[in-house]
Amino acid sequence: MNSRRDPYDVIVCGAGHAGCEAALASARMGARTLILSGNIDTIAAMSCNPAIGGVAKGHIVREIDALGGEMAVNADVSAIQFRMLNASKGAAVHSPRAQCDKKVYALRMKHVLEHQENLDVFQATVTSLIFKGDSIVGCRTNLDVDFFGTTVIITTGTFLRGLMHIGKNKNEGGRMGDHSAKTLSSSFLEAGIELERLKTGTPPRLLGRSIDFSKLESQAGDLDPTLFAFYDTRDDSDMFHVEHHGETFAGWAPGTDQVSCWITYTTQETADIVNRDLHLSAMYGGEIEGSGPRYCPSIEDKFVRFEGRSRHMLFIEPEGRNTNEYYINGLSTSLPFDTQLEMIATIPGLENAHLLRPAYAVEYDFAPPTQIFPHLESKKVENLFFAGQINGTSGYEEAACQGLVAGVNAALKVRGDDPFVLKRYDGYTGVLIDDLVTKGTSEPYRMFTSRAEYRLLFNHGSSELRMLEYAKAYGLLPDSRIAKIEEKKQGIEKAVKWMETNRRGEQTWATLVRRNDDDLELPDEISRLPGPVLSEVLYRIRYDGYLKREMRQVEKLNSVETIRVPSGFDFLSVRGLKKECALKLNQLKPANLGQASRVSGVNPADISILMVAFGKI
Amino acid sequence: MHRLDTIVAVATPKGESAIAMLRASGPDCANLAQSIFNRKRPAPPRYSYHGTYVSIDGEALDDVVYCFYQEPKSFTGEDTLEIMCHGNPLIASKVLEDLLARGCLQAEPGEFSRRAFLNGRMDLTQAEAVMELIQARSDKAIKAANNQLRGAFGRQLGMLKDKLLNSVAAIEAYIDFPEEDLPAEQKQAHVDGIQKLVTYCSRLIDSSRYAAFLRDGVKTLILGEPNAGKSSLLNQLLGFERAIVSEEPGTTRDFLRERVIIGEHSIQLLDTAGLREAQSGIEREGIRRTIELAEEADIFLLVEDSTLPSPELPDAIADRLSADNCIVIRNKIDLGNAVAANDSFGSFRQVDFSALKGEGLDALRDALVSLIDSHFSTDEDDLILVNARHNTALNELKDCLGSALAKFEADDAAELVASDMRGALDAIGTILGRIDNEAMLDVLFSSFCIGK
Ligand SMILES: Nc1nc2c(ncn2[C@@H]2O[C@H](COP(=O)(O)OP(=O)(O)OP(=O)(O)O)[C@@H](O)[C@H]2O)c(=O)[nH]1
Ligand SMILES: [Mg+2]
Repeated sequence: MNSRRDPYDVIVCGAGHAGCEAALASARMGARTLILSGNIDTIAAMSCNPAIGGVAKGHIVREIDALGGEMAVNADVSAIQFRMLNASKGAAVHSPRAQCDKKVYALRMKHVLEHQENLDVFQATVTSLIFKGDSIVGCRTNLDVDFFGTTVIITTGTFLRGLMHIGKNKNEGGRMGDHSAKTLSSSFLEAGIELERLKTGTPPRLLGRSIDFSKLESQAGDLDPTLFAFYDTRDDSDMFHVEHHGETFAGWAPGTDQVSCWITYTTQETADIVNRDLHLSAMYGGEIEGSGPRYCPSIEDKFVRFEGRSRHMLFIEPEGRNTNEYYINGLSTSLPFDTQLEMIATIPGLENAHLLRPAYAVEYDFAPPTQIFPHLESKKVENLFFAGQINGTSGYEEAACQGLVAGVNAALKVRGDDPFVLKRYDGYTGVLIDDLVTKGTSEPYRMFTSRAEYRLLFNHGSSELRMLEYAKAYGLLPDSRIAKIEEKKQGIEKAVKWMETNRRGEQTWATLVRRNDDDLELPDEISRLPGPVLSEVLYRIRYDGYLKREMRQVEKLNSVETIRVPSGFDFLSVRGLKKECALKLNQLKPANLGQASRVSGVNPADISILMVAFGKI
Repeated sequence: MHRLDTIVAVATPKGESAIAMLRASGPDCANLAQSIFNRKRPAPPRYSYHGTYVSIDGEALDDVVYCFYQEPKSFTGEDTLEIMCHGNPLIASKVLEDLLARGCLQAEPGEFSRRAFLNGRMDLTQAEAVMELIQARSDKAIKAANNQLRGAFGRQLGMLKDKLLNSVAAIEAYIDFPEEDLPAEQKQAHVDGIQKLVTYCSRLIDSSRYAAFLRDGVKTLILGEPNAGKSSLLNQLLGFERAIVSEEPGTTRDFLRERVIIGEHSIQLLDTAGLREAQSGIEREGIRRTIELAEEADIFLLVEDSTLPSPELPDAIADRLSADNCIVIRNKIDLGNAVAANDSFGSFRQVDFSALKGEGLDALRDALVSLIDSHFSTDEDDLILVNARHNTALNELKDCLGSALAKFEADDAAELVASDMRGALDAIGTILGRIDNEAMLDVLFSSFCIGK
């Protein structure tokens, strides 16, 4: 470490899912990067669910892969079960999901960081930030070692003034067993960055040996799993894969030797106990001020809001191959320890279950994301970037994609290049960031496919094609892989054209495909295409009408999206714009007119006026 | 910029004026001019032409003056078509509707100016001045729209929106939370739900009388015995010789349809075959048609030869007539030997008339206007007015729902059904204001227990 003499280009504070992607992205772009973690044994820890992907999240993971991120490969090689969700509901919402071995996932990611060129890993807790004028220049740590960097990325997750609740019991920390960052919050406030509170929770963990699996329904993995990473366009050497550094690693071939998850249900007795002790819950007893996610209610919430329904589904998910710990998905709670014990015993299969770690709720500070630009830099403090839960999101995938975008942008900022901004129609990552910076959030923000207006354009298999231009422009993928993706793209386009123009009898092959006839035998030219190419070809043909419709909407949106708002622009100076609207826009500082048009209270006439104003400025 | 779309709007202020101007701008204008006015060659730019506006379904809507401007020499800098029609708002709306049916999009406030500016046809100060005007006007328009939406129309749309949100939330929950223990996807319940929405939406469209009148005019049936002077009356109201008139009874064998504007009302006049014991097969057929038409007609003009005793009417027709929907026209008063009027029509509006001389024409017009006004006047609150924009949106809504329904029944992928359902939400959003995804999520999380 020669940190004090040699400033970094990028300093990443926090080594969770956002931090890891941020650090890898900037280092891979050639920026000298430092990643700081209060405890490097918890790098890429899965604090909650031992799973990656799922609906919309799985899509994000594939986008991360398409942008040169690590999460996809890391999940593939540490997964112990793969399932494709929504397999029956249409190809655009087919969503890959995997149960991962928690420890293996974290260990491998740590190993990747350790081997990354241009990247230093260091264990220290960031205690405050160092500013110079309106810019950030570094950070101070608990070891009294200061680090200086051109840019700083904050990826502190739930650690800012994290407070955990189990009934009346309170513990400071961002995750059970880890400390919280207590003093960092005041650094933000000092810089004029506002903070608010959010709440989330995690369910209890049980000892597998004490669960009666004979009473549970088993849910096995897919026989023919869909992996997250795009291997068809990847050479082994393109993997940034620790295995290729000649190191040994405890992974296994993706998709082999899968394990099952299990399903059980709560009962009337469970409901009775929860209702009886409701006043003891941290949430209902008034201990918690932050607002929690609607999509992840505690068991208290479920029984209160859906009164009269006592049977709620629970998934029992293994946390790894080399541990007997199980995650009880659906049983999140802030009830006291004793109540948790009593409650668990009323659930079939869990009658004698041993509780390894109780469920808890955690409250933490976040910085409302309307305070950052779409490239994730603070509007207040130059060179300061934010990514992950600090921006009010929830979930590893949501955090990781932001980390990646922040890492790329920090590196670009160091070079003095224009920022990397994903648009709403590029994919879920674009939707996520646009939603955050335009509308903010009042609950931990989780991605849903329904948040995307152009959902049909976002089938997971096309992530690589959708991100291609960005990957090329910013050098996020090795040239060999870019070439393969381009080849894949051309192959798809050629095959689609072939299907549209060649006929069997009266009809083109495309028409035959659109008829949805399961028995249709494809011609050799098509059926011998590689799997990923074939499925994209069929998707484009089947959904042709829909895709065109969405593309038309995108074109329309794009016409305003490309009109940039000059930085520091004063909307009050625009003649004819309503004052109320101008004030709102001044506060939000939209980066372009498309973003401005999505601000509530801004109507099309206002946008017309702004178009006039910007056309000449 | 928006070069793809051709936009259209009525450029003159709303209300009666001598002439109404509609302006279309965009790449389709040259083709529009050619197809609407049935031109063999494209219209030379910047010349005014006189022509009959023929709608997409072949109906002559009005005699108009039109002028085609070629880019960049136009107000917007794009191909532009200006159409001057008669000032009656119904005609202008009708033409607007037709242009929308031909694929034009209704211009948003300020869109012409925006295009003009972006195509370099306006400088900044000019554009700003126009924008201020637009701003003022669009605020007024929003206020007017809000006023209207506070009434019955708004309430009904609100209900429709709530139901739609419930359906969308159910489908989205099913897509976004496959791992949840949601109630089994009940296809039939969805189909029924959407079917109800379609019916509801159709009813809303139908009950929007303005839209219906816009489409068809008030259906007015001219009835009477052969030779009573029905065709002569039609010609009088039209102001030109449309129907063949002769002393030979049974001249009109099938019905004739013509449109005329009287007062504020657009009226569709239907001249029919005379009612009597049929002599021939063709005539019997004509009478059968008349009875059929009587079932759908809004208003009746019963023409009697005042010199003859009132004839018997077939029951199917007599049952439809009432003082609220019928005017008795005592024709041929110029002959001066009228017999006493039939008592059974005592409470009806009666007009002494001479189709030959045109006497009583003003009285007939007044009687018609007053009848239509009273026939269709209801509580202001209940009166559902739908303008062309609303009508477009409602039809779009209905189309989306219909398409969603068809997909559901064909077992297509849920995401495709959802795509149509979102189209439906967007359509209703163009009337009620954009429906944010948050509104859908609110419904979703309050109706389904999502919990992981
Ligand atoms: N004197 C006089 N003759 C009239 C008047 N109206 C119509 N006639 C004559 O009556 C005859 C029949 O008139 P039409 O208008 O053809 O009557 P119609 O009711 O359409 O008859 P059909 O089509 O045969 O059922 C013609 O010779 C007209 O000139 C009127 O007001 N006064
Ligand atoms: Mg006649």
